[in-house]
Amino acid sequence: MNDSLFSELSTLGSSVVLLFGITLLWRRSLHAYTDAFRWQSAVLALIFVMIGYFGDDPELYFIAVFLLILKVWIMPHYLQRMAKQFGGERESQPYVNIATSLILAGLLVLLAYAVTRPLVLVSTLPTRGGLPLAMGLIFVGLFVVITRKKALTQIVGFLVMENGIALLAVLGTFGIPLIVELGVFLDVLMGFLVMQVFVYHIHDTFESIDVDQLNELKH
Amino acid sequence: MTGYLLEIVQALLALLLAPGLVGFVRWVKSRLQNRRGAPPWLPYFELGKLFGKEVVMSKNASWLFRFAPYIVFTSTLAVTLLVPLIAAPLPFDNVGDLLVVVYLLLLGTFFLALAGLDPGTAFGGMGASREMTVAAIAEPTIALAAFGLALSAGSTNLGHIVTATLVNPGLAISPSHLLAFAALFIVTLAETGRLPVDNPATHLELTMIHEAMILEYSGRYLALIEWAAWLKLTIFFSLLANLFVPWGLATALTPMALAIAVMTLILKLAILGVVVAVVETRVAKLRLFRVPELLGVSFVLALLAVTSSFLLK
Repeated sequence: MNDSLFSELSTLGSSVVLLFGITLLWRRSLHAYTDAFRWQSAVLALIFVMIGYFGDDPELYFIAVFLLILKVWIMPHYLQRMAKQFGGERESQPYVNIATSLILAGLLVLLAYAVTRPLVLVSTLPTRGGLPLAMGLIFVGLFVVITRKKALTQIVGFLVMENGIALLAVLGTFGIPLIVELGVFLDVLMGFLVMQVFVYHIHDTFESIDVDQLNELKH
Repeated sequence: MTGYLLEIVQALLALLLAPGLVGFVRWVKSRLQNRRGAPPWLPYFELGKLFGKEVVMSKNASWLFRFAPYIVFTSTLAVTLLVPLIAAPLPFDNVGDLLVVVYLLLLGTFFLALAGLDPGTAFGGMGASREMTVAAIAEPTIALAAFGLALSAGSTNLGHIVTATLVNPGLAISPSHLLAFAALFIVTLAETGRLPVDNPATHLELTMIHEAMILEYSGRYLALIEWAAWLKLTIFFSLLANLFVPWGLATALTPMALAIAVMTLILKLAILGVVVAVVETRVAKLRLFRVPELLGVSFVLALLAVTSSFLLK
Protein backbone atom coordinates (compact mmCIF):
# COMPACT_ATOMS: atom_id res chain seq x y z
CA MET A 1 0.00 0.00 0.00
CA ASN A 2 2.77 2.36 1.02
CA ASP A 3 4.74 1.52 -2.08
CA SER A 4 1.82 1.96 -4.44
CA LEU A 5 0.93 5.28 -2.80
CA PHE A 6 4.55 6.37 -3.21
CA SER A 7 4.58 5.44 -6.88
CA GLU A 8 1.22 7.17 -7.52
CA LEU A 9 2.38 10.31 -5.74
CA SER A 10 5.72 10.45 -7.52
CA THR A 11 4.10 10.01 -10.93
CA LEU A 12 1.52 12.62 -10.01
CA GLY A 13 4.18 15.09 -8.85
CA SER A 14 6.21 14.54 -12.00
CA SER A 15 3.13 15.16 -14.14
CA VAL A 16 2.47 18.44 -12.35
CA VAL A 17 6.09 19.50 -12.85
CA LEU A 18 5.82 18.62 -16.53
CA LEU A 19 2.57 20.55 -16.83
CA PHE A 20 4.21 23.72 -15.55
CA GLY A 21 6.84 23.19 -18.22
CA ILE A 22 4.13 22.93 -20.86
CA THR A 23 2.33 26.07 -19.62
CA LEU A 24 5.45 27.98 -20.68
CA LEU A 25 4.57 27.15 -24.26
CA TRP A 26 1.10 28.59 -23.89
CA ARG A 27 1.93 31.83 -22.10
CA ARG A 28 3.31 34.99 -23.65
CA SER A 29 4.21 37.46 -20.94
CA LEU A 30 7.56 37.33 -19.16
CA HIS A 31 5.78 37.41 -15.79
CA ALA A 32 3.85 34.28 -16.65
CA TYR A 33 7.09 32.51 -17.54
CA THR A 34 8.64 33.42 -14.21
CA ASP A 35 5.55 32.38 -12.28
CA ALA A 36 5.40 29.02 -14.02
CA PHE A 37 9.06 28.45 -13.16
CA ARG A 38 8.49 29.42 -9.52
CA TRP A 39 5.56 27.04 -9.09
CA GLN A 40 7.36 24.28 -10.90
CA SER A 41 10.34 24.57 -8.57
CA ALA A 42 8.03 24.57 -5.55
CA VAL A 43 6.44 21.31 -6.69
CA LEU A 44 9.91 19.92 -7.40
CA ALA A 45 10.93 20.71 -3.83
CA LEU A 46 7.82 18.87 -2.62
CA ILE A 47 8.85 15.83 -4.66
CA PHE A 48 12.29 15.94 -3.03
CA VAL A 49 10.65 16.01 0.40
CA MET A 50 8.34 13.16 -0.54
CA ILE A 51 11.15 10.98 -1.84
CA GLY A 52 13.16 11.82 1.25
CA TYR A 53 10.25 10.69 3.40
CA PHE A 54 9.41 7.46 1.57
CA GLY A 55 13.02 6.61 0.73
CA ASP A 56 14.13 7.42 4.28
CA ASP A 57 16.89 9.81 3.24
CA PRO A 58 17.01 12.97 5.41
CA GLU A 59 19.64 14.56 3.15
CA LEU A 60 16.94 15.21 0.62
CA TYR A 61 15.20 17.58 3.06
CA PHE A 62 18.29 19.82 2.98
CA ILE A 63 18.33 19.75 -0.78
CA ALA A 64 14.66 20.65 -0.83
CA VAL A 65 15.34 23.66 1.40
CA PHE A 66 18.20 24.79 -0.86
CA LEU A 67 15.93 24.33 -3.83
CA LEU A 68 13.25 26.46 -2.21
CA ILE A 69 15.69 29.23 -1.42
CA LEU A 70 17.43 29.20 -4.79
CA LYS A 71 14.73 28.39 -7.29
CA VAL A 72 11.57 29.55 -5.59
CA TRP A 73 12.91 32.69 -4.00
CA ILE A 74 16.19 34.07 -5.38
CA MET A 75 16.06 33.20 -9.09
CA PRO A 76 12.40 34.08 -9.66
CA HIS A 77 13.03 37.29 -7.74
CA TYR A 78 15.76 38.36 -10.15
CA LEU A 79 13.80 37.11 -13.13
CA GLN A 80 10.82 39.11 -11.94
CA ARG A 81 13.02 42.20 -11.62
CA MET A 82 14.29 41.79 -15.14
CA ALA A 83 10.76 41.15 -16.36
CA LYS A 84 9.67 44.41 -14.75
CA GLN A 85 12.52 46.28 -16.41
CA PHE A 86 11.77 44.88 -19.86
CA GLY A 87 8.10 44.64 -18.96
CA GLY A 88 6.68 45.81 -22.24
CA GLU A 89 8.25 42.95 -24.13
CA ARG A 90 6.27 39.80 -24.70
CA GLU A 91 6.96 36.54 -26.38
CA SER A 92 4.61 37.61 -29.13
CA GLN A 93 6.08 35.85 -32.13
CA PRO A 94 8.06 32.74 -31.28
CA TYR A 95 9.72 30.82 -34.10
CA VAL A 96 7.08 28.11 -33.78
CA ASN A 97 3.53 29.32 -33.14
CA ILE A 98 1.75 28.41 -29.95
CA ALA A 99 -0.73 25.81 -31.18
CA THR A 100 1.99 23.95 -33.07
CA SER A 101 4.41 24.07 -30.17
CA LEU A 102 1.75 22.58 -27.87
CA ILE A 103 1.20 19.67 -30.23
CA LEU A 104 4.96 19.28 -30.62
CA ALA A 105 5.33 19.26 -26.84
CA GLY A 106 2.85 16.38 -26.72
CA LEU A 107 4.91 14.54 -29.32
CA LEU A 108 8.12 15.26 -27.40
CA VAL A 109 6.62 13.66 -24.32
CA LEU A 110 5.68 10.63 -26.42
CA LEU A 111 9.28 10.54 -27.65
CA ALA A 112 10.45 10.66 -24.05
CA TYR A 113 8.26 7.64 -23.30
CA ALA A 114 9.82 5.82 -26.23
CA VAL A 115 13.36 6.74 -25.19
CA THR A 116 12.97 5.75 -21.54
CA ARG A 117 10.96 2.60 -22.28
CA PRO A 118 13.93 0.20 -21.84
CA LEU A 119 14.92 1.96 -18.65
CA VAL A 120 11.42 1.78 -17.18
CA LEU A 121 11.10 -1.90 -18.14
CA VAL A 122 14.22 -3.04 -16.30
CA SER A 123 13.75 -0.71 -13.36
CA THR A 124 12.07 -1.90 -10.17
CA LEU A 125 11.97 1.51 -8.49
CA PRO A 126 8.57 2.64 -7.25
CA THR A 127 9.31 6.00 -8.89
CA ARG A 128 9.86 4.59 -12.40
CA GLY A 129 6.53 6.02 -13.61
CA GLY A 130 7.95 9.53 -13.38
CA LEU A 131 11.12 8.87 -15.39
CA PRO A 132 9.56 9.44 -18.85
CA LEU A 133 7.87 12.59 -17.58
CA ALA A 134 11.18 13.98 -16.31
CA MET A 135 12.80 13.16 -19.65
CA GLY A 136 9.85 14.84 -21.37
CA LEU A 137 10.40 17.95 -19.25
CA ILE A 138 14.04 18.09 -20.36
CA PHE A 139 12.89 17.93 -23.99
CA VAL A 140 10.23 20.59 -23.44
CA GLY A 141 12.78 22.88 -21.75
CA LEU A 142 15.15 22.45 -24.66
CA PHE A 143 12.27 23.14 -27.03
CA VAL A 144 11.49 26.40 -25.21
CA VAL A 145 15.15 27.42 -25.49
CA ILE A 146 15.33 26.86 -29.23
CA THR A 147 11.94 28.24 -30.27
CA ARG A 148 11.53 31.33 -28.10
CA LYS A 149 13.04 34.63 -29.14
CA LYS A 150 13.45 36.66 -25.96
CA ALA A 151 16.61 36.19 -23.94
CA LEU A 152 14.60 36.02 -20.73
CA THR A 153 12.27 33.27 -21.91
CA GLN A 154 15.26 31.32 -23.11
CA ILE A 155 16.78 31.54 -19.64
CA VAL A 156 13.56 30.26 -18.13
CA GLY A 157 13.60 27.44 -20.67
CA PHE A 158 17.13 26.58 -19.60
CA LEU A 159 16.17 26.61 -15.92
CA VAL A 160 13.18 24.42 -16.64
CA MET A 161 15.45 21.98 -18.42
CA GLU A 162 17.70 22.00 -15.38
CA ASN A 163 14.65 21.22 -13.21
CA GLY A 164 13.98 18.28 -15.50
CA ILE A 165 17.49 16.97 -14.98
CA ALA A 166 17.18 17.36 -11.21
CA LEU A 167 13.85 15.53 -11.30
CA LEU A 168 15.29 12.72 -13.42
CA ALA A 169 18.23 12.39 -11.03
CA VAL A 170 16.13 12.25 -7.89
CA LEU A 171 13.60 9.83 -9.38
CA GLY A 172 16.28 7.56 -10.79
CA THR A 173 18.70 7.46 -7.86
CA PHE A 174 16.70 8.59 -4.79
CA GLY A 175 19.07 11.46 -4.24
CA ILE A 176 22.61 12.08 -5.39
CA PRO A 177 25.14 12.80 -2.61
CA LEU A 178 24.61 16.20 -1.02
CA ILE A 179 27.96 17.53 -2.16
CA VAL A 180 27.25 16.77 -5.82
CA GLU A 181 23.81 18.36 -5.55
CA LEU A 182 25.35 21.49 -3.99
CA GLY A 183 27.86 21.66 -6.81
CA VAL A 184 25.05 21.49 -9.34
CA PHE A 185 23.17 24.27 -7.56
CA LEU A 186 26.24 26.45 -7.57
CA ASP A 187 26.75 25.77 -11.27
CA VAL A 188 23.19 26.72 -12.05
CA LEU A 189 23.43 29.87 -9.96
CA MET A 190 26.65 30.96 -11.69
CA GLY A 191 25.20 30.15 -15.08
CA PHE A 192 22.12 32.16 -14.22
CA LEU A 193 24.16 35.17 -13.08
CA VAL A 194 26.29 35.09 -16.23
CA MET A 195 23.19 34.88 -18.38
CA GLN A 196 21.66 37.76 -16.48
CA VAL A 197 24.70 39.90 -17.27
CA PHE A 198 24.34 38.94 -20.91
CA VAL A 199 20.69 39.90 -20.95
CA TYR A 200 21.50 43.37 -19.62
CA HIS A 201 24.22 43.75 -22.24
CA ILE A 202 21.90 42.65 -25.02
CA HIS A 203 19.32 45.10 -23.76
CA ASP A 204 21.86 47.92 -23.56
CA THR A 205 23.09 47.31 -27.08
CA PHE A 206 19.84 46.68 -28.92
CA GLU A 207 17.26 48.24 -26.56
CA SER A 208 15.40 44.96 -26.76
CA ILE A 209 15.97 41.46 -25.43
CA ASP A 210 15.00 39.84 -28.70
CA VAL A 211 17.90 37.54 -29.59
CA ASP A 212 16.93 37.77 -33.24
CA GLN A 213 18.59 41.18 -33.16
CA LEU A 214 21.95 39.54 -32.56
CA ASN A 215 21.95 38.69 -36.27
CA GLU A 216 22.77 42.34 -36.92
CA LEU A 217 26.22 41.71 -35.48
CA LYS A 218 27.07 39.75 -38.61
CA HIS A 219 27.14 42.83 -40.80
CA MET B 1 -38.75 -2.39 -13.67
CA THR B 2 -37.20 -0.38 -10.86
CA GLY B 3 -34.28 0.17 -13.21
CA TYR B 4 -36.44 1.97 -15.75
CA LEU B 5 -38.10 3.93 -12.97
CA LEU B 6 -34.63 4.97 -11.86
CA GLU B 7 -33.80 6.13 -15.38
CA ILE B 8 -36.93 8.26 -15.52
CA VAL B 9 -36.27 9.72 -12.10
CA GLN B 10 -32.72 10.53 -13.15
CA ALA B 11 -33.81 12.30 -16.34
CA LEU B 12 -36.45 14.28 -14.46
CA LEU B 13 -33.93 15.21 -11.79
CA ALA B 14 -31.51 16.50 -14.41
CA LEU B 15 -34.28 18.49 -16.09
CA LEU B 16 -35.25 20.02 -12.76
CA LEU B 17 -31.73 20.76 -11.58
CA ALA B 18 -30.44 22.29 -14.81
CA PRO B 19 -32.08 25.75 -14.58
CA GLY B 20 -31.29 25.92 -10.88
CA LEU B 21 -27.62 25.17 -11.53
CA VAL B 22 -27.35 27.91 -14.15
CA GLY B 23 -29.15 30.34 -11.88
CA PHE B 24 -26.82 29.40 -9.05
CA VAL B 25 -23.70 29.99 -11.17
CA ARG B 26 -25.07 33.38 -12.26
CA TRP B 27 -25.89 34.29 -8.66
CA VAL B 28 -22.45 33.31 -7.31
CA LYS B 29 -20.85 35.19 -10.15
CA SER B 30 -22.75 38.37 -9.43
CA ARG B 31 -22.02 38.09 -5.70
CA LEU B 32 -18.32 37.75 -6.54
CA GLN B 33 -18.56 40.87 -8.68
CA ASN B 34 -20.22 42.87 -5.89
CA ARG B 35 -23.61 42.82 -7.52
CA ARG B 36 -26.80 41.71 -5.80
CA GLY B 37 -27.64 39.35 -8.61
CA ALA B 38 -30.90 37.78 -9.66
CA PRO B 39 -32.19 34.99 -7.39
CA PRO B 40 -30.92 31.53 -8.37
CA TRP B 41 -34.42 30.33 -9.27
CA LEU B 42 -34.92 32.99 -11.94
CA PRO B 43 -34.21 30.58 -14.86
CA TYR B 44 -37.33 28.58 -13.92
CA PHE B 45 -39.43 31.68 -14.44
CA GLU B 46 -37.53 32.41 -17.63
CA LEU B 47 -38.52 29.01 -18.97
CA GLY B 48 -42.14 29.50 -17.91
CA LYS B 49 -42.23 32.90 -19.61
CA LEU B 50 -40.67 31.66 -22.82
CA PHE B 51 -43.02 28.67 -23.07
CA GLY B 52 -45.97 31.05 -22.80
CA LYS B 53 -44.81 33.37 -25.55
CA GLU B 54 -45.77 33.19 -29.19
CA VAL B 55 -43.18 32.03 -31.73
CA VAL B 56 -42.00 34.59 -34.25
CA MET B 57 -40.16 33.19 -37.25
CA SER B 58 -38.39 34.57 -40.25
CA LYS B 59 -40.11 34.00 -43.59
CA ASN B 60 -36.90 32.46 -44.94
CA ALA B 61 -36.71 29.81 -42.23
CA SER B 62 -37.27 26.24 -43.39
CA TRP B 63 -38.58 23.15 -41.60
CA LEU B 64 -35.06 22.58 -40.29
CA PHE B 65 -35.31 25.69 -38.15
CA ARG B 66 -38.54 24.38 -36.59
CA PHE B 67 -37.15 20.89 -36.23
CA ALA B 68 -33.74 21.63 -34.68
CA PRO B 69 -34.86 22.66 -31.17
CA TYR B 70 -36.56 19.31 -30.68
CA ILE B 71 -33.48 17.39 -31.81
CA VAL B 72 -31.22 19.50 -29.62
CA PHE B 73 -33.47 18.99 -26.63
CA THR B 74 -34.16 15.28 -27.07
CA SER B 75 -30.56 14.35 -27.85
CA THR B 76 -29.46 16.11 -24.68
CA LEU B 77 -32.27 14.52 -22.72
CA ALA B 78 -31.27 11.10 -24.05
CA VAL B 79 -27.80 11.64 -22.61
CA THR B 80 -29.23 12.06 -19.11
CA LEU B 81 -30.42 8.45 -19.36
CA LEU B 82 -26.88 7.23 -20.00
CA VAL B 83 -24.81 9.32 -17.60
CA PRO B 84 -24.56 8.04 -14.03
CA LEU B 85 -26.17 10.93 -12.17
CA ILE B 86 -27.34 9.22 -8.99
CA ALA B 87 -26.72 5.48 -9.38
CA ALA B 88 -23.72 3.69 -10.79
CA PRO B 89 -24.38 0.65 -12.95
CA LEU B 90 -27.46 1.88 -14.81
CA PRO B 91 -29.77 -0.47 -16.70
CA PHE B 92 -29.07 1.54 -19.88
CA ASP B 93 -25.32 1.11 -19.56
CA ASN B 94 -25.33 -1.42 -22.35
CA VAL B 95 -27.23 0.92 -24.65
CA GLY B 96 -24.46 3.47 -24.92
CA ASP B 97 -21.02 4.15 -23.52
CA LEU B 98 -18.97 7.31 -23.06
CA LEU B 99 -18.50 7.73 -26.80
CA VAL B 100 -22.24 7.64 -27.41
CA VAL B 101 -22.67 10.33 -24.78
CA VAL B 102 -20.05 12.54 -26.43
CA TYR B 103 -21.49 12.16 -29.90
CA LEU B 104 -25.11 12.59 -28.80
CA LEU B 105 -24.07 15.93 -27.34
CA LEU B 106 -22.29 16.80 -30.58
CA LEU B 107 -25.39 15.85 -32.58
CA GLY B 108 -27.20 18.62 -30.74
CA THR B 109 -24.36 21.05 -31.47
CA PHE B 110 -24.46 20.10 -35.14
CA PHE B 111 -28.17 20.72 -35.51
CA LEU B 112 -27.92 23.95 -33.59
CA ALA B 113 -25.26 25.14 -36.04
CA LEU B 114 -27.49 24.13 -38.97
CA ALA B 115 -30.38 26.02 -37.44
CA GLY B 116 -28.13 29.04 -37.01
CA LEU B 117 -27.32 28.98 -40.72
CA ASP B 118 -30.89 28.34 -41.83
CA PRO B 119 -32.59 31.76 -41.59
CA GLY B 120 -29.64 33.31 -43.45
CA THR B 121 -28.83 36.10 -41.01
CA ALA B 122 -25.29 37.34 -40.69
CA PHE B 123 -25.05 36.63 -36.98
CA GLY B 124 -26.38 33.09 -37.28
CA GLY B 125 -23.80 32.12 -39.87
CA MET B 126 -20.99 33.68 -37.87
CA GLY B 127 -22.08 31.92 -34.69
CA ALA B 128 -22.42 28.60 -36.49
CA SER B 129 -18.99 28.78 -38.04
CA ARG B 130 -17.43 29.69 -34.70
CA GLU B 131 -19.29 26.94 -32.86
CA MET B 132 -18.07 24.43 -35.41
CA THR B 133 -14.49 25.70 -35.07
CA VAL B 134 -14.64 25.19 -31.33
CA ALA B 135 -16.46 21.85 -31.58
CA ALA B 136 -14.02 20.51 -34.16
CA ILE B 137 -11.09 21.01 -31.80
CA ALA B 138 -12.97 20.13 -28.64
CA GLU B 139 -14.29 16.84 -29.95
CA PRO B 140 -10.98 14.94 -30.35
CA THR B 141 -10.02 16.20 -26.90
CA ILE B 142 -13.14 14.75 -25.29
CA ALA B 143 -12.62 11.48 -27.13
CA LEU B 144 -8.97 11.31 -26.02
CA ALA B 145 -9.84 12.14 -22.41
CA ALA B 146 -12.50 9.43 -22.56
CA PHE B 147 -9.92 6.95 -23.79
CA GLY B 148 -7.61 7.98 -20.96
CA LEU B 149 -10.35 7.04 -18.49
CA ALA B 150 -11.35 3.94 -20.41
CA LEU B 151 -7.81 2.59 -20.58
CA SER B 152 -7.35 2.61 -16.83
CA ALA B 153 -10.83 1.14 -16.24
CA GLY B 154 -10.57 -1.36 -19.08
CA SER B 155 -13.86 -0.34 -20.66
CA THR B 156 -15.57 2.67 -22.20
CA ASN B 157 -18.73 1.72 -20.36
CA LEU B 158 -19.61 4.50 -17.91
CA GLY B 159 -20.78 2.10 -15.22
CA HIS B 160 -17.51 0.17 -15.46
CA ILE B 161 -15.41 3.32 -15.19
CA VAL B 162 -17.29 4.43 -12.10
CA THR B 163 -17.11 1.05 -10.37
CA ALA B 164 -13.43 0.67 -11.26
CA THR B 165 -12.68 3.89 -9.39
CA LEU B 166 -14.94 2.89 -6.49
CA VAL B 167 -13.16 -0.46 -6.16
CA ASN B 168 -9.69 1.03 -6.51
CA PRO B 169 -9.65 4.56 -4.99
CA GLY B 170 -5.98 5.03 -5.97
CA LEU B 171 -7.15 5.52 -9.55
CA ALA B 172 -8.70 8.85 -8.58
CA ILE B 173 -5.30 10.43 -7.93
CA SER B 174 -3.52 8.67 -10.78
CA PRO B 175 -2.03 11.17 -13.25
CA SER B 176 -4.14 9.89 -16.11
CA HIS B 177 -7.34 10.68 -14.23
CA LEU B 178 -6.19 14.11 -13.11
CA LEU B 179 -4.94 15.07 -16.56
CA ALA B 180 -8.14 13.82 -18.15
CA PHE B 181 -10.10 15.82 -15.58
CA ALA B 182 -8.20 18.99 -16.43
CA ALA B 183 -8.68 18.38 -20.15
CA LEU B 184 -12.40 17.73 -19.72
CA PHE B 185 -12.78 20.79 -17.52
CA ILE B 186 -11.37 23.07 -20.22
CA VAL B 187 -13.54 21.37 -22.82
CA THR B 188 -16.56 21.79 -20.55
CA LEU B 189 -15.96 25.54 -20.50
CA ALA B 190 -15.67 25.56 -24.29
CA GLU B 191 -18.59 23.27 -25.07
CA THR B 192 -21.06 24.88 -22.72
CA GLY B 193 -20.18 28.38 -23.85
CA ARG B 194 -18.62 29.72 -20.67
CA LEU B 195 -15.78 32.20 -20.28
CA PRO B 196 -12.98 32.35 -21.48
CA VAL B 197 -14.33 30.87 -24.72
CA ASP B 198 -17.77 32.42 -24.94
CA ASN B 199 -19.49 34.88 -22.65
CA PRO B 200 -22.85 33.51 -21.50
CA ALA B 201 -23.99 36.92 -20.26
CA THR B 202 -24.01 38.78 -23.56
CA HIS B 203 -26.81 39.18 -26.01
CA LEU B 204 -25.34 41.54 -28.54
CA GLU B 205 -21.64 41.36 -28.94
CA LEU B 206 -19.63 40.69 -32.05
CA THR B 207 -17.71 37.87 -30.42
CA MET B 208 -20.61 35.82 -29.10
CA ILE B 209 -20.90 32.20 -30.20
CA HIS B 210 -23.88 30.44 -28.64
CA GLU B 211 -26.05 33.54 -28.49
CA ALA B 212 -25.30 34.34 -32.13
CA MET B 213 -26.68 31.01 -33.27
CA ILE B 214 -29.92 31.22 -31.37
CA LEU B 215 -30.56 34.89 -32.03
CA GLU B 216 -33.46 34.12 -34.38
CA TYR B 217 -35.28 31.86 -31.96
CA SER B 218 -38.18 32.90 -29.80
CA GLY B 219 -40.98 31.46 -27.71
CA ARG B 220 -41.04 27.78 -26.94
CA TYR B 221 -38.22 27.03 -29.39
CA LEU B 222 -35.92 29.35 -27.52
CA ALA B 223 -37.07 27.79 -24.25
CA LEU B 224 -36.20 24.30 -25.51
CA ILE B 225 -32.79 25.39 -26.75
CA GLU B 226 -31.94 27.25 -23.57
CA TRP B 227 -33.11 24.35 -21.45
CA ALA B 228 -31.00 21.97 -23.53
CA ALA B 229 -27.96 24.22 -23.12
CA TRP B 230 -28.43 24.29 -19.34
CA LEU B 231 -28.95 20.53 -19.36
CA LYS B 232 -25.69 20.17 -21.24
CA LEU B 233 -23.90 22.14 -18.54
CA THR B 234 -25.45 19.88 -15.89
CA ILE B 235 -24.39 16.78 -17.84
CA PHE B 236 -20.81 17.94 -18.28
CA PHE B 237 -20.62 18.87 -14.59
CA SER B 238 -21.96 15.52 -13.47
CA LEU B 239 -19.58 13.72 -15.84
CA LEU B 240 -16.72 15.64 -14.25
CA ALA B 241 -18.06 14.96 -10.76
CA ASN B 242 -19.12 11.36 -11.04
CA LEU B 243 -16.50 9.89 -13.34
CA PHE B 244 -13.60 11.29 -11.37
CA VAL B 245 -15.03 11.48 -7.83
CA PRO B 246 -17.69 8.77 -7.86
CA TRP B 247 -18.19 8.56 -4.09
CA GLY B 248 -21.76 9.14 -3.03
CA LEU B 249 -23.29 7.44 -6.04
CA ALA B 250 -25.86 4.80 -5.14
CA THR B 251 -24.60 1.33 -6.01
CA ALA B 252 -27.66 -0.36 -4.50
CA LEU B 253 -31.20 0.79 -5.16
CA THR B 254 -32.29 1.51 -1.61
CA PRO B 255 -34.20 4.74 -0.86
CA MET B 256 -31.53 5.78 1.64
CA ALA B 257 -28.66 5.36 -0.84
CA LEU B 258 -30.62 7.23 -3.51
CA ALA B 259 -31.38 10.10 -1.15
CA ILE B 260 -27.67 10.36 -0.29
CA ALA B 261 -26.82 10.19 -3.98
CA VAL B 262 -29.17 13.07 -4.80
CA MET B 263 -27.73 15.18 -1.99
CA THR B 264 -24.11 14.49 -3.03
CA LEU B 265 -24.97 15.20 -6.66
CA ILE B 266 -26.39 18.59 -5.71
CA LEU B 267 -23.36 19.27 -3.53
CA LYS B 268 -20.91 18.30 -6.29
CA LEU B 269 -22.77 20.41 -8.85
CA ALA B 270 -22.74 23.34 -6.44
CA ILE B 271 -18.98 22.99 -5.87
CA LEU B 272 -18.28 22.86 -9.60
CA GLY B 273 -20.66 25.78 -10.08
CA VAL B 274 -18.69 27.87 -7.59
CA VAL B 275 -15.42 26.87 -9.31
CA VAL B 276 -16.76 27.92 -12.69
CA ALA B 277 -18.11 31.17 -11.26
CA VAL B 278 -14.69 31.97 -9.77
CA VAL B 279 -12.96 31.11 -13.05
CA GLU B 280 -15.41 33.29 -14.96
CA THR B 281 -14.83 36.18 -12.58
CA ARG B 282 -11.07 35.90 -12.74
CA VAL B 283 -10.38 35.41 -16.43
CA ALA B 284 -11.14 37.68 -19.34
CA LYS B 285 -12.60 36.37 -22.55
CA LEU B 286 -9.93 35.10 -24.91
CA ARG B 287 -9.60 36.56 -28.34
CA LEU B 288 -11.27 34.20 -30.79
CA PHE B 289 -7.98 33.25 -32.36
CA ARG B 290 -6.50 32.26 -29.02
CA VAL B 291 -9.33 29.80 -28.37
CA PRO B 292 -7.69 27.07 -30.50
CA GLU B 293 -4.57 27.54 -28.39
CA LEU B 294 -6.50 26.98 -25.18
CA LEU B 295 -8.11 23.90 -26.67
CA GLY B 296 -4.64 22.86 -27.83
CA VAL B 297 -3.60 22.91 -24.17
CA SER B 298 -6.49 20.68 -23.25
CA PHE B 299 -5.69 18.38 -26.18
CA VAL B 300 -2.12 17.98 -24.94
CA LEU B 301 -3.46 17.27 -21.44
CA ALA B 302 -5.73 14.58 -22.81
CA LEU B 303 -2.88 13.14 -24.89
CA LEU B 304 -0.69 12.95 -21.78
CA ALA B 305 -3.55 11.30 -19.90
CA VAL B 306 -3.77 8.60 -22.53
CA THR B 307 -0.02 8.06 -22.75
CA SER B 308 0.42 7.88 -18.99
CA SER B 309 -2.31 5.27 -18.63
CA PHE B 310 -1.32 3.36 -21.76
CA LEU B 311 2.46 3.34 -21.60
CA LEU B 312 2.82 2.85 -17.88
CA LYS B 313 0.98 -0.45 -17.86
